[in-house]
Amino acid sequence: MKGYQKYFLNKLSWFLITFVFAFLLNFILPRLMPGDPVAAIVSRVAQGMSNTSGVQAIYEQYARLFGTNRPIHEQFFIYIGNVARGDFGFSISQYPRTVFDVIRSSIMWTIALQFPAIIVGWLIGNTLGALAAYLKGGFDKILMPVSIFVSNFPAFGMAVILMVIFGVALEWFPTSGGYGFDLIPEFSWKFIRSVISHYQLPFWSIVLIAIGGQAIGMRSMAIYELNADYVKYARFMGIKDRKIIGYVFRNAMLPQITGLALSIGTMVGGALVAEIVFSYPGLGYTILNGVMGQDYPLISATTLIITIMVLSANFLIEILYGIIDPRIKAAQAD
Amino acid sequence: MDMGKTILEVNELTTRYITRFGESVYAVDHVSLKVEEGKSLGIAGESGCGKSTLALSLMGYYFPPLHYMSGAILIDGRNISGMNPDDVRKLILGKEIAYIPQAAMNALNPTQKVIRFIEDVIQVHDYGATKRDIYERARALFEKLGLPASVLEKYPVELSGGMKQRTVIAISVLLSPKVLIADEPSSALDVTSQKMVIKMFRQLMNDGLIGSLIFITHELPLLYNVTDDIMVMYAGQIVERANAKAAVFDPLHPYSKGLMGSIIVPEEGLRNVKLAAIPGVPPNLKNPPSGCRFAERCKYVTPECRVTTVNLREIEDGRTYRCIFSENELREAYQNG
Repeated sequence: MKGYQKYFLNKLSWFLITFVFAFLLNFILPRLMPGDPVAAIVSRVAQGMSNTSGVQAIYEQYARLFGTNRPIHEQFFIYIGNVARGDFGFSISQYPRTVFDVIRSSIMWTIALQFPAIIVGWLIGNTLGALAAYLKGGFDKILMPVSIFVSNFPAFGMAVILMVIFGVALEWFPTSGGYGFDLIPEFSWKFIRSVISHYQLPFWSIVLIAIGGQAIGMRSMAIYELNADYVKYARFMGIKDRKIIGYVFRNAMLPQITGLALSIGTMVGGALVAEIVFSYPGLGYTILNGVMGQDYPLISATTLIITIMVLSANFLIEILYGIIDPRIKAAQAD
Repeated sequence: MDMGKTILEVNELTTRYITRFGESVYAVDHVSLKVEEGKSLGIAGESGCGKSTLALSLMGYYFPPLHYMSGAILIDGRNISGMNPDDVRKLILGKEIAYIPQAAMNALNPTQKVIRFIEDVIQVHDYGATKRDIYERARALFEKLGLPASVLEKYPVELSGGMKQRTVIAISVLLSPKVLIADEPSSALDVTSQKMVIKMFRQLMNDGLIGSLIFITHELPLLYNVTDDIMVMYAGQIVERANAKAAVFDPLHPYSKGLMGSIIVPEEGLRNVKLAAIPGVPPNLKNPPSGCRFAERCKYVTPECRVTTVNLREIEDGRTYRCIFSENELREAYQNG
């Protein structure tokens, strides 16, 4: 177990180093954008005011509130302290809402949309890919070109196609929003039905693209493994085909698990396109608004969430891999 | 003439590969052979002459692209070539006939501990065996064969090449098969590991852990040291069979002659023999030539060779060769160079 401890500590230290750098960039990059977001709020608040010193006073008040009057390194240390306490401050573009409040109201939409879509796409894709490798013949000949075709659609293209076909032409599903604009969120049948029908188009636009990519990857891994020497040997030792398929898919699955964990990690960033096209009230849409409004606190907080999710997903994969695949443990321990 | 019990008898076995484009390649063409209990047979030949395919075909268990065409494989009198594949798998494979693949280094599933695979193998044939029993059986066998029992709890990646090879051999003989087919089991190993592997085969025979051995290799000196008889294959057919000594020092068929001439065996009398390669390459088995398949490359070829179907002829004590020339004609030709 000593080798594994070393492996674990090694991976943990890389995790921490990467986190520190990512944290720093999350803070600095939004603030390098040209323009003054505080001025934008002030001009909104001070509309119609003719008193220059009054406007100046309002500006200073907001600058103090957001901390933009201080030098950037001071802002950074204040930011660290605040983040450590879980306080991300006020959103600039949606003032007076706090960043926490903005994220809280949108993150569940993203998770509820992305997580099932990724899992469903992954499961269907891998099953189809494995079947194509095992059955070969006609099934493979149809599935592969279709998968390649579908997986090469850009995400927005798929979203627009679904929207045009099922939203505009057939009018089966609504084309934008997370629920009917005339409803307020509550636990009622009407609201839930509305949510479900709004859910369909963004959901399937993500699933379809994921299926193609996963099927292609799984198929080639499974074909490679099916032709491995250990398969031939196991067959000649009288092992049942069903059991051999078990060996093969376990081995072919390993790289696919990485793909799954990574897409769960990049879920929030990956949500951007589908959410924007369908004006879905999730985190991706919030990030877009944050960027448009130069909302430093909001951008930093959302990118921090993405950073943490991606890094944790990677870290978890590496740790799991070390347990599942003895080859990796052996290669990394020394 | 040996009076031993015949343990493996193959009659006119023909198998073919069907390619993606539907063409047939007859890689094993009417092959007949016999191996007696306690004996070993070596199979020699160039790459692509059908040695490995013969090994696969003898198992009686076919999967694409290899297909069974005709002929019989009898193990201890039981014909396995007509059996349903699932019965072959349950009753024959591993138990009656076992196989050691060419790339035994990669023959173990990389994500499975050795003992887990052994459990899977034994449970095919002995459904009720408990893990405890299986472990004890495997440990006893491994120790008998000079392998540490700790190997059982390891993953293949944690074993050296030679150790992996010997582990695979040990797994293959777990159920004391009557016939063990080893396809180039030592070609990927260094000389020291090779020697250990060879010693292991000797021990398997001497201890009666296997009934008989078929050893396939392109390394003739190895065959001479390991096996009782040697069979030479060319283009899917047997071209000569003789006892090991005769096959190496007194080959009859011009192909065997050429093959033996192209190696160095540190034995008396061979010191002054010049090394010679056989010119050309084996024929394409999609369209095997009519007449003698070796005609294209043979020094002694006559027009008749290219048109006549050449059958195996048997001379004393089961020695056979496939050539239109008689034994004396061949010896005379070799005398004159």
